[in-house]
Amino acid sequence: MSDSRNTTQKIGVYVCDCGSNIAGMVDVPEVVKFASTLPNVAIAREHKYMCSDPGQDMIKNDIKELGLTRVVVSSCSPLMHEPTFRQAVHDAGLNQYLFQMANIREQCSWVTEDRIKATEKAKKLVAAAVERVVLHEPLKLKEVAVNPNVLVVGGGISGIEAALQIANSGKKVYLVERSPSIGGHMAQLDKTFPTLDCSACILTPKMVQIGRHPNIELMSYSEVVNVSGFVGNFKVKVKKKSKFIELEKCKACGDCEKECPVERDDEYEMKMKKRKAIYRYFPQAVPNTYLIDKTERPPCKITCPIEQDASGYTALIAQKKYQQAIDLVRKKNPLPIVCARVCYHPCETACRRGDLDEPVSICHLKRFLVDWEMEKPEERYKKPEIKDERKEKIAVIGSGPAGLACAYDLRILGYQPTIFEELDVVGGMLHTGIPEYRLPKKLLNKEIDRMKDLGIKIKTNTKIGKGITLGSLKKQGFDAVFIATGAHKGLKLKIPGEELSGVFDGVEFLREVSLGKKMQVGKRVAVIGGGNTAVDVARTVWRLGAEEVNIVYRRTIKEMPAAAHEIEETQKEGIKITYLTAPLEIIQKNGKVGGIKCIKMKLGEPDSSGRRRPVPVENSEHEIKADMVVAAVSQAPDLSFMDPGLQLKVSKWETLETDPLTMCTNQEGIFAGGDLVTGPATVIEAIACGKKAAISIDRYLNSLPLDSKPIMEAGLGKKNKEDIPKIDVKEKYKDKPRKQRMKIPSLSIKERVGNFREVEFSIPEKLALEEASRCLQCGPCVECFECARVCEAKAINHSLTDQVVELDVGAVVLATGFDTYDPILAPQYGYKRYDNVLTSMEFERLSHAGGVTGGRILLKNGKEPESVAILHCIGSRDENANEYCSRVCCMYSLKFAHLVKEKTPATVYELYIDMRSFGKGYEEFYKRLMHEGVLFVRGKGAEITDVAEIDEEKGKLVVKCEDTLLGMVRRIPVDMVILSTGLQPQKDVTEVTRLFTIQRSKDGFFLEKHPKLAPVATATDGVFLAGACQGPKDIPDSVAQGAGAAANVIAMIDKGVVSIEPIVSYIDPEKCAGCKLCLTLCPYNAIEFNQEKKVSQVLEALCKGCGTCVASCPSGVPIQYGFRDEQILAEIEGALELDKISVNK
Amino acid sequence: MRYSYYPGCSLEATAKPYDVSVRAVCQALDLGLDEVEDWNCCGATSYISIRELTAFAISARNLALAEKMGNDLVTVCPACYTVLNKTNIYMREKEDIKKTVSEALAVANLKYDGTVKVRHLLDIIVNDIGLEKINPKISQRLDGLKIAPYYGCQISRPHGTFDDPEFPMTMDNLFSSLGAEVVNFPLKAKCCGGMLMTTEPEEGVNLIKSLLSCAQDNKAELIVTACPLCEINLEAYQKKVNRKFKTDFSIPAIYFTQLLGVALGLPKEKLAIGRELVSSEKVLDRFYGGKR
Repeated sequence: MSDSRNTTQKIGVYVCDCGSNIAGMVDVPEVVKFASTLPNVAIAREHKYMCSDPGQDMIKNDIKELGLTRVVVSSCSPLMHEPTFRQAVHDAGLNQYLFQMANIREQCSWVTEDRIKATEKAKKLVAAAVERVVLHEPLKLKEVAVNPNVLVVGGGISGIEAALQIANSGKKVYLVERSPSIGGHMAQLDKTFPTLDCSACILTPKMVQIGRHPNIELMSYSEVVNVSGFVGNFKVKVKKKSKFIELEKCKACGDCEKECPVERDDEYEMKMKKRKAIYRYFPQAVPNTYLIDKTERPPCKITCPIEQDASGYTALIAQKKYQQAIDLVRKKNPLPIVCARVCYHPCETACRRGDLDEPVSICHLKRFLVDWEMEKPEERYKKPEIKDERKEKIAVIGSGPAGLACAYDLRILGYQPTIFEELDVVGGMLHTGIPEYRLPKKLLNKEIDRMKDLGIKIKTNTKIGKGITLGSLKKQGFDAVFIATGAHKGLKLKIPGEELSGVFDGVEFLREVSLGKKMQVGKRVAVIGGGNTAVDVARTVWRLGAEEVNIVYRRTIKEMPAAAHEIEETQKEGIKITYLTAPLEIIQKNGKVGGIKCIKMKLGEPDSSGRRRPVPVENSEHEIKADMVVAAVSQAPDLSFMDPGLQLKVSKWETLETDPLTMCTNQEGIFAGGDLVTGPATVIEAIACGKKAAISIDRYLNSLPLDSKPIMEAGLGKKNKEDIPKIDVKEKYKDKPRKQRMKIPSLSIKERVGNFREVEFSIPEKLALEEASRCLQCGPCVECFECARVCEAKAINHSLTDQVVELDVGAVVLATGFDTYDPILAPQYGYKRYDNVLTSMEFERLSHAGGVTGGRILLKNGKEPESVAILHCIGSRDENANEYCSRVCCMYSLKFAHLVKEKTPATVYELYIDMRSFGKGYEEFYKRLMHEGVLFVRGKGAEITDVAEIDEEKGKLVVKCEDTLLGMVRRIPVDMVILSTGLQPQKDVTEVTRLFTIQRSKDGFFLEKHPKLAPVATATDGVFLAGACQGPKDIPDSVAQGAGAAANVIAMIDKGVVSIEPIVSYIDPEKCAGCKLCLTLCPYNAIEFNQEKKVSQVLEALCKGCGTCVASCPSGVPIQYGFRDEQILAEIEGALELDKISVNK
Repeated sequence: MRYSYYPGCSLEATAKPYDVSVRAVCQALDLGLDEVEDWNCCGATSYISIRELTAFAISARNLALAEKMGNDLVTVCPACYTVLNKTNIYMREKEDIKKTVSEALAVANLKYDGTVKVRHLLDIIVNDIGLEKINPKISQRLDGLKIAPYYGCQISRPHGTFDDPEFPMTMDNLFSSLGAEVVNFPLKAKCCGGMLMTTEPEEGVNLIKSLLSCAQDNKAELIVTACPLCEINLEAYQKKVNRKFKTDFSIPAIYFTQLLGVALGLPKEKLAIGRELVSSEKVLDRFYGGKR
């Protein structure tokens, strides 16, 4: 039992009749009589309307004259009038928290039909309040400063209105809009009802004002990604998506758009027109600049180790811009003649066209370009420009693709690279590893000659480690070293008989052949291995006259590392491949190779490379006849260049260890790359290493930090597929006609025998053009850079990135607008099945002068309609779609009728359920349409069909409906049907409500604080709503709400401070054990952990007084002001006291 | 997967081919069917409009029997499908109906707790088994066969449980995946007249004519249906239609299970093909060329 009995408190109890709302059910005089008997009650009164001025005055007078110390009002819900009575108490000089309300209406008189029970409960509620209020403390309202900046989310008409009003009052507004321009749906409209004002004419002046306003910072093509904080002090993160244009420079001249090869559906035009990948949202856009759509990013470029612009040059080929295409290739690739022939093209594996039918033959398209260039090299090969000469010398060891690429890039930057090559010939594996029939040496040398022409010195027959040491290079004046000696040491088979004559190493064999040595080849050759070396050896040996060539591989074709294309050619040339077989011993016959003892293998568990490990099958030994065996079972680097004076780190696979990002070894100034570092890999990966090293060396020589990420971030060709946005290709491109990829012309098998002629030859232009047009242009921007080339203002920058900025604001106005109902969900209307069934937005664009027909009302066949039916309530007032009325459709349907009547002689039918023309001038507009001769049919359109029942219906769309005024079912044949689709919430409302901690009402739109009295506020202080995001509405109402939200915001900011309710939680630092349980439970993130004191503390401004921490603390430490345990217990005791008395009776 | 099977009255008589082909196809697809023992008429005919409560009671008897068997109940007649589903819903939502019907069932020592799911075979084949599992079992693709899939009005309305009420696609998808060319058939879910041929034959004939016209105009060679009454309406009155409208319709109409059976390679007798009033021989024989 509380000790509230013996106090000097003086409580005034006031019981309200609330007209008949309470008095009709509760015996108020009896409750008053009962209240006056309660302890500490000084006075108990009844009043008809406590919330009225006389009612409030009654309280104030009693406080002053009777010296009341506490006040209890039993009336309605505190949500209604607690603030009213608190104010009255405060005005009378008493602390407003020394007040308690008992709800004897919503929780009593309104929820029962039993007068006796109602009165009893009312008494209990009063007793509870009286018992509690004695323990109330005089709490103080907290005040927090308000940041005067404001965030407006959404640049439609209501957002624009709110932004302008707030900015005009002198405050800074950040206006964030998701599309490339402000204007919202209003910018898509043709005319507006009922005035028939041209929408753009009334909207664009406001848009321009926004663009010019000194207090408004417009962030278009941007989205809010994170919100934290509380009223007056929000921290908002906004992602500004890159438009890839330097906005201040763009003059919107449109030259870029003309050159762009990529077309997409124009979203602003409701997909009735096409736009380019570089586009302006609409002609009056604000900001009035272009932007580039790169939302889906072509995977070909991302997966290429050197980020070659595959999609770019493919698009240029399709436009016959071959010079630009080859220039684009050479921008990043120093050896395109090579790559066009031998690259393993990871771009093709990633190509999205492959999800549809087959990938685009990107590699062959590059071949087409290099061949085109080769037709007239004096004209078509553009020597790269070297801007500034630098004196620094770099030693490049090895003239393979890594070394060549590194030297090339360094030379372009102005440096003086010298390549040291051990052999007589240049090119490394390009010369000694890749056979002539794949890459003619003449062409390789042409590319290398061009490099020499640039000023790259190549010293052949010079081995580092023999005579010249690695360490001595510095003394010779080299400022940096790049080692790229490759991996040319073939691994041994490690089986007996390997030393016999007739057993060769694959890499060595190919090298000897490439150097022109005459090689003896057996009749029956067995090649051990499954990689490109094995295949190259087999095909070489076949050409040198072997009768039978057999590749022996220990796994299956699926695991063979050789390129699929190569394996295919190998089989075509009649070379046998024996799978799941491994050699055990090379059998001797007359002192030479006679055969191989082999064993069959089966696939077991996967090994570290992910491929299943081969396991011998017991008792399956057998012999393969052979008189020559070539081992091609991988290679390791030759480390004889190493200098004992320089402790370079070597891995267990005999490769050199480097930093994967910078290519730097553990010795300063010494870099390495290519097969030497990675182990045997591909040409393009080696080129990538060389290019990365050049960037690092350039940084090193300029004393810049090496580890900032290089521009080319692609890994060694093994890029994460996760980085590439996933697209449902089959769905998005389902209308694209399927076509197989091109087959490159090649020599017939007969023509290949006994010679090393290049097998593949050049591609006819027609084939290349067809292949290039297979590209889906899935970026959509393909990065052909044509736009940048023609832009005189130099405003285009393809390397710009998205930015995230953090804003500090005091208030937020959400004006995110609406989406429309998609009638594809109501198949009975034939939308997308029949031509000439349009949605309202599509009709707006049709009627608009900027639309696809220039503003003429035309059918798909180009003719004017003779009759049009406009169907109201599609998707609205519908239990199967949205139950609510969308409010604007009746009026815009009338507007459409007028537009059709104005532009064509067609008969117009309006099929309606009710005509909602409630606004100013709306009814008059309706009358006008009646006078214009529109035929009104009262009955919702039920179905559209093209199945004619009578001759008049042939070739028409028949609207079936029930004409409720005529009392019959009608079939109305028309040429065009307009579906007046309803409004609905945007697709991402759930994310937005989570970001701003607001709620949605049952219809899905944002929930306002009170539907009648507070339509633009939300339950979250500081967040306001405006426009259609709160519920369907027309332009006048949206503007009014925009202004209303602005008024709320301005009032809040001008006050300068915001009051925070003091009913917050408090954690005594002396008692807190620091278990942090409350932190995880607080739904408002209002508790933080003080690291020094090791206790939790409440952030009062964020605390909403929910009590979760109080209830959950295992030590019972937190208390909540106004809801202390004693106060709650007193309330309970008060309520139960009555039962005690009646029990005792 | 096993299902309890409720054939319904028409499958015992005029729609016997439906019953025969259902059993044959289910066997070929490893779909176990256990006929409900001692089932009675579902009350789908006029009964439910005349004596609603009694109709629910006799319909519920079947459900009570099926509940004892434990599995989902599969039926193929859309009228039975609708009535049995309706019974389920009304028993669940209306206390008074539930009370009376339960009392009636109790007299026969039966009770129904509302746990039986009533499914249509088309739903089970396409959604439970799935087109990927059916494909390997197909031995005869239907390439080049132009069909008009006719759903009628009861299979997807009013509840639209497994297909769109206005524009169903289940049969379209099933037969396109088997290679058939599904023609444009906008009247696929429009009423065939149902019982009208017995009460208002002049109106009934109009409706049948619209359907046949639409099928013919769109070049369909065969109408495939899922309802015994639709089937008979479509094929039995073609001569009557021809007389009234001076047309020359001669389009065979068969059950979807019969056509599915053809694709599964089942012989004609097993599918009761050959008993139609408008012979399907000319259209289907190409799929039996040399095959028996």
